[in-house]
Amino acid sequence: MLRGALFGSLLFCIGVHVSAAPLTVRVLDEKGRPVRDAVVILRPNGPAAHSSAAGRYSVSQKDMQFHPFVLVVPVGAKVSFPNLDPTRHHVYSFSPAKRFELKLFAKDQTRSVVFDKPGVVALGCNIHDGMTAFVMVTDSAWTAKTGPNGIAQFGDAPNAAGRVSVWHPYLRAKANLVEQNVSATSRSTIFTVALRAPPMALSDGY
Amino acid sequence: MPRPRLLPLLLATAALALSAPVHAEDADLISSETLTVTGTVSLAATDGEESWLDRGFGKLSTSGDGDGDVSVKPLLSEANLIWRPRFSWALSATIVGTFQGGERNEAGISEAYFSYKPMRGSSTRVSARAGLMWPSVSLEHEGADWHVRDTITPSAINSWIGEEVRPLAIEGSVGTTIGEHKLSATGALFAANDTAGTLLTFLGWALHNRRTLAFNDQPLPPFEPEDEGYQAHFTHPLLDVGSGFADRPGYYAKLVWQPPVPVRLELFRYDNRANPEAVNEDIEWGWRTHFNNLGLAADIEGTQLRAQAMTGRTRMGFEEGPLDRHWIDMRFRSAFLLVSRSVGKFGLAARIEAFETRHRGSWWDDEYDEDGWAATLAGKREWGPFTGLVELIHVSSDNPAREHVGLEPQQTQTRLQADLRVNW
Repeated sequence: MLRGALFGSLLFCIGVHVSAAPLTVRVLDEKGRPVRDAVVILRPNGPAAHSSAAGRYSVSQKDMQFHPFVLVVPVGAKVSFPNLDPTRHHVYSFSPAKRFELKLFAKDQTRSVVFDKPGVVALGCNIHDGMTAFVMVTDSAWTAKTGPNGIAQFGDAPNAAGRVSVWHPYLRAKANLVEQNVSATSRSTIFTVALRAPPMALSDGY
Repeated sequence: MPRPRLLPLLLATAALALSAPVHAEDADLISSETLTVTGTVSLAATDGEESWLDRGFGKLSTSGDGDGDVSVKPLLSEANLIWRPRFSWALSATIVGTFQGGERNEAGISEAYFSYKPMRGSSTRVSARAGLMWPSVSLEHEGADWHVRDTITPSAINSWIGEEVRPLAIEGSVGTTIGEHKLSATGALFAANDTAGTLLTFLGWALHNRRTLAFNDQPLPPFEPEDEGYQAHFTHPLLDVGSGFADRPGYYAKLVWQPPVPVRLELFRYDNRANPEAVNEDIEWGWRTHFNNLGLAADIEGTQLRAQAMTGRTRMGFEEGPLDRHWIDMRFRSAFLLVSRSVGKFGLAARIEAFETRHRGSWWDDEYDEDGWAATLAGKREWGPFTGLVELIHVSSDNPAREHVGLEPQQTQTRLQADLRVNW
């Protein structure tokens, strides 16, 4: 694993022979409000760079919801699923990027899953229909999630042209994804995206 | 009598469930996760007529003091013990024991059913339930104790569901996602709900939290002296009249559509297929009752809308008279609109509704038609396990049957009530 990390960083160093030029991406909705939990991926022209899969990632269950709502991990990452609730949860995904199910007793904090393919993994709980979250498994080192201010920053982006994509689970576009070109000189770009409202629970439930 | 037949059925279902391959460590029968206690205490100030629970024609669960003045009463409105044992990751049960207080004290089982939700392999999921459970008509209720979410008193439509729509059912559901749309379909076969329609006919529409508990009965308002002997003075909603349990099963079906906007549409159809000419030794009749209920739920910038519209028909007794009408042949309709919004830790809700019955029977004809409306305003505040509610409700109705107790058909009633609920 360490060798992989070293190799990855080496590739990064070889590929990026020009100076880094920080890139800022802002994601806004149609009313101009910042969009949080959008995943922004930069793919500059030239050799790709991958993040190491080392790192501690987790999606916890607390108060009958997953936290965080969107988690970004590199390919090969191991994500733990601590159940912090006093009830059991039956976490699952049938997304092509990772199909799994985890039977988690109350307060069970011992289970984890390795995400070995890039793509979007949609999580749910078979017992509690209102629980929903997403894991974005990325093969690009330049992947970031927007915060409440709608901004993703790439401090070490290469000074090169490339393609920037924005993904959000409620984005109204094919595959919930929109893309734009970015030139070597434009170091700040704005995406305006159309979002649908978060889904209501299918049944109010009793 | 239904009781001896139901017990073997429930025991057989329990044996079946427990004999399913179960790993002991997956099961959770008694624990703090599976047991919950809820309760409600109330203080109510009511004017107007006597409640139907007191064998009057009042539509609320509390009564005025009979002299036209306001009656103020504290009550232990209800207490529930909810037991939700889990047998495996897919199979669980829900049993709710309920006590209801106020004008009439009673205790019993309000729900007892199994729930099966196997893990899905794709965006399509299948689930099933079986037993005594609330059919999913009401958009106002939530939780295993079926409490009203935004107000104290449910609408006339959902009050009637709690009163009389009490089948023993086997229900299956399938849900799927097509593009950005979510769809689900539910179908059920049921028995033991032959008398649904009795209270709706002899009392009319009502607005209250008085659920019918298993095997318990509900009182009917008085009849005219010349009408004695046609119908018992009470009704058992959970009842199979006539020979055999489930020899004429009824059905209900539900379709739900959730497009990629925060709006949900629901369509529910019920038909108990009871024989209107069947009668038992207590003079309880079969009532052939069917209804359609359309539901709408919407979330608009933090304000929630809930609306339901129900139309149905019920028939009972022999066909008589020049038009060969059953003794009771009644169409019923009601609709409500509920608007609610959270403001910090407070919730506010307002509801408006209208209801009517149209009688074309050979015993009760259009002289008995009822019309009415109600308006409700409620505020809610939550502190941890406690919920406080304050509600002002006003109901105005014209029900000719009130003359049976010497009252004017047109009556209004207003109530201010404060509830404190606990969930532990």
